[in-house]
Amino acid sequence: MSDLPVTADPGETPAGTADATMVVDLTADAKVAAADIPPELVAQSLGQYLRAWWLRVRGGDSGVLPVVLGIVVVAVAFQIANSKFLSSQNLVNLFEQSTVYMVLAMAEIFALLLAEIDLSVGLVMGLGSVVVAELVQPTGANFPWWAAIITALLACSACGAIQGWLVARLRMPSFIVTLGGLLILEGVAIIVLGGTLVSIGNSRFTNEVVLYKIFWGHFSPVVGWILLAVLVGAAGAGFWLRDVRKRRAGLETPPPSLTALKIVLMAAAGIALVAICNVNRAHFGTIEGVPYIIPIVLVVLAAWTVLLQRTRFGRYVYAIGGNPEAARRAGVRLASVRIWGFVLAGLTAGIAGVLFASWQVDITTNIIKESNSYVLLAIAAAVIGGTSLFGGRGRTIHGVLGGLVIGAIYNGLFLLGVQAQWIDVAVAGVLLAAAVVDVLSRRSASSTA
Amino acid sequence: MTADSSEVPTGTADAGTAVDLTADAQVAAAEVPAVLVAQSMGQYLRTWWQQVRSGNSGVLPVILAIVIVAVVFEIVTPEHAFLRPSNLVYIFGLSTVYMVLAMAATLVLLLGELDLSIGAVALVGGVVAFKLVQQPGPGWPWWAAMLAALAVCGVIGALQGTLVARLKIPAFVVTLGGYLLFSGILIVVLGGADGSVNLNTSVANQRVIYNMVQGLLVPVVGWAALAVVVVAAGTALWLRAAARRRQGLVAPPAGLTAIRIALVALVGIAVVEICSINRGTSLVKVEGVPWIIPIVLLVLGAWTLVLQRTRFGRYVYAIGGNPEAARRAGVSVAAIRTWCFALCSATAGLGGILLGSFFFGEYSTNTADAGQLVLYAVAAAVIGGVSLFGGRGKAVHGVLGGLLIGAIAYGVSLLNLGELATPLEYIVPGGVLLAAVLVDVLSRRGSVTRV
Repeated sequence: MSDLPVTADPGETPAGTADATMVVDLTADAKVAAADIPPELVAQSLGQYLRAWWLRVRGGDSGVLPVVLGIVVVAVAFQIANSKFLSSQNLVNLFEQSTVYMVLAMAEIFALLLAEIDLSVGLVMGLGSVVVAELVQPTGANFPWWAAIITALLACSACGAIQGWLVARLRMPSFIVTLGGLLILEGVAIIVLGGTLVSIGNSRFTNEVVLYKIFWGHFSPVVGWILLAVLVGAAGAGFWLRDVRKRRAGLETPPPSLTALKIVLMAAAGIALVAICNVNRAHFGTIEGVPYIIPIVLVVLAAWTVLLQRTRFGRYVYAIGGNPEAARRAGVRLASVRIWGFVLAGLTAGIAGVLFASWQVDITTNIIKESNSYVLLAIAAAVIGGTSLFGGRGRTIHGVLGGLVIGAIYNGLFLLGVQAQWIDVAVAGVLLAAAVVDVLSRRSASSTA
Repeated sequence: MTADSSEVPTGTADAGTAVDLTADAQVAAAEVPAVLVAQSMGQYLRTWWQQVRSGNSGVLPVILAIVIVAVVFEIVTPEHAFLRPSNLVYIFGLSTVYMVLAMAATLVLLLGELDLSIGAVALVGGVVAFKLVQQPGPGWPWWAAMLAALAVCGVIGALQGTLVARLKIPAFVVTLGGYLLFSGILIVVLGGADGSVNLNTSVANQRVIYNMVQGLLVPVVGWAALAVVVVAAGTALWLRAAARRRQGLVAPPAGLTAIRIALVALVGIAVVEICSINRGTSLVKVEGVPWIIPIVLLVLGAWTLVLQRTRFGRYVYAIGGNPEAARRAGVSVAAIRTWCFALCSATAGLGGILLGSFFFGEYSTNTADAGQLVLYAVAAAVIGGVSLFGGRGKAVHGVLGGLLIGAIAYGVSLLNLGELATPLEYIVPGGVLLAAVLVDVLSRRGSVTRV
C-alpha cells in the first residue's frame, strides 16, 4: 500500500472514478519527479556539484555515465583482442559505420520518449535511400541533389505522419501499426526501386557525386581544424554566456568552474577526433581529414537536442511520455504532439536514408530487405544509450552514444573474424541487457525516492 | 465514496486497476451471452443477431471474409483456377503452417502480450527436429526428434516468458531480442549461412515427418476417418447438451445442437470430397485427404480443450481481461504468463516442423523469412478474431485466420502480376494486418460504448 496519507476529505480524491488509473501514474511519477529534481541545481561549488551528481548516479539516474563506461570497456576489450581496433584507420571507419545507427537511433528516440515504439524506422530509411537514389538518376527524374534529398525527407515524414495518425487518432497500438507499416513500406520501396538495382556511383553526374560524397567525402585537414575551432568557440561562448546571463538574472546555475570544465572536455574530445581523422588512413596515396558525416550527425544532434530540451514541443513530448493523462489535463493536445513525434521520427529516419544511400552506393532489393534489420539496432542503440522504453526519459545524445557502442561491437567483432550470425546474437544480447538495466534502474529509481 | 475510506484503496499504487475494473465490468456485462438464457431456436437466433450487432460477432466476419476472398480470386485468377481441387488442397497445406503459428500467437495474445519471436523459434524447432532424424547422424526415431524439438522450443519460450513475467520487461522487446538471437542461432545450427538439412524420403523414419504435410490418406480411409470424427464429435456435443439439460443447467436448444452437428458433418464431407477428387493425371493418381488436416484438427482440439475447459484456460482469460483482478483473485499471474510463452513457443516449434515438411522436407536459410512468418501468424490470429488487447479469442480463430491468410497469399501468387508480385508479397499481409487491427480496435470501442 501507499505511504501517501488518505485525506479525510474524500471529495478531493478522485477515487474509484473512471480516471483513477491516472492517480497511480501521478503518484508514481511524483516519486520519480522528486528523484529527478537535479540536486546540482542547488549546488554552488564544484565539489558540491560533484557530490550531488554522485548521489544521483547512485540513485539510479546515471545519465550518460553507463554508456560512456560501456564505450571504454568495449574499446579496451577489442583493443586487447586485436591491436588494430584503436588504429586511426579503423576508428574513422568505426565512426563512419556508426553514423547510420546514430541517426536512426535519434529517430527512434522520438517514439520512445512518447512511450510508443516505431518498428518501421529501418524501412523508412530504406525507402528514403531508394527515393533519393532514384530521383537523381539522369535517365529518370534527374532532380538536382538537394531537391532529391528534400523529396525523400518529405516522403519519409509522410510515412511517419500516416502511422502517427493511426496511432494517435485511432489509438491503434504503435508496435502493430508500425509492424504492418514496415511490411507495406518494404513493398513500396521495391516498387519505387523498379528494377533490381539503382546506383549513385557514376562519377560523370554531379548530382550523384554530391550524394556519394555525403558519406565518403571528407574535409582537408586544415579545414577540419578551422571548423573545430569555430565549433568549439561558438559552443563554448554559447554555454558561457548562457550561464553568465542565468547567474546575473539570479537563476540557479552550475558553478563557473563546471562550465569551464565542460568546455575544456568538449574541446579535448574535438581535438582528439580531428587529430585521429587527420592521420593518413590510406594504404596507398593519401586519405586524410574529417568525414563530412561527422558534422552532419552533430547538426542533427544539436537540432533535436534544442527541439527536445528548449522548446515547448519538447516539454510536451516528455510530459506525454511521463504521464499522458496528466499531460492531457494540463491542456496538451496529445494526438497532435504524438503525430508530430512520429513525423519527426520519419524525417530523421529519412536523413538516415540519405546517409544509407550514400554509404551503400548501390541500392538493391537485398539492401532494402537488410534495412529492416537496422530497426533493432536503432532500438538497441537508443536503449543502450540510456533512453527508457517506458517513455519520458532520454535525450538525443543517448542515440549518438548508443550508436557508437553498436558500431564498435559490429566493427570489433568483424575485425576478429566473427561470423555475421554471431554478431547478431551479440547485439541481441546487448539489447536484452540494456532493457534489463532500464527496467531495473527504473525500479530502483522509484524505490529510492 | 464510502465514508470509510480505508476500504477504498484510494491513491495507492494499485488504484490504476480501478479503471480497468470498471471498464471490464462494462465489457463483461455486454459479454454475458444472451444466448445462455434463450430456450428456443428463434430466441437463440435473435439474441445471436443482437450479439453480432453489438460488435461481438465471433467467427462470422472471418468466415464471410474467407467466402469473399474465395469468390473474388475465383473470378480474377486466370482461367478461374482458384477453386480447383488441386489448388484448394495446396492452400490447406500452405495454411496449416499459418494456422498452427496463429494458434501459438493466440496463446500469448490472450494475455494481452505479443511474441515476435514465433517465426524464428518455429524455424529453430523445425531445424532441430530435422537434424535429429538425420542418418548418418543422431538418427533418432521421428517421435523422439519431434518431442525434443518441441521441448527445446518450450524452454526458449519459458526463458522469454520469465523475462516478461518476472522482470516485467516489455514482451515486444524481449521477443524482438529473441527473434534476432534465435535467427542467429538458427544459422549456427544449420551450419553456416548456406547450410541446409534435408529429409531422406527413402528412410521410413524420416518419411513420417516428410508425410505430415505431403502425405495423403487413401480416399476410403479419409471417408472412414471422417465418419469416426463426425460421429465422435456429434455424440460428444449431443451428450454434453443432454447432460446439461437433464441437470437443469443452461443449455442451447436441441435443434441448435442438431444443426451444429449437421454443419460439422457437411463441412467434413465437403473437405473429404474435394480432397478425394483425383488432382493428378489419369496415369498418376493424386487423391485423398492430406495427413495435415487431421493433425491440425488435433492441435485445434487440444488447445480448445485447454483454453475452454481447464482451470489454466480460465486463468489465461482472466489475466488477459484484467491482470490485477486476476492477481487479487489469487491467480499466480507470473507462472501462468511464463507457461503461456512456453506453450506458444512449443506450438510454434510444431509449426516449424510442418513448414519443413511443406517445403518437401528441405530446410535452408532461405526456406522462410522468420520476420514474415511472425507477421503472418499475428495477422492470422487477429483477422480470425483474437483481440490484441487480451482476453478475447479462441484457438479456432487462429485456424480460420490462417486459412484466410493462406488463401490470400496463394491467390495473389496465382495472379500474373509480373513486377508487382514481389512487392505485393509484403503489401498484402501488411495491409491485412492493419485492417484486422483496425477492426479489432473499432469493435472493442463499439462494444464498450453500446453498454
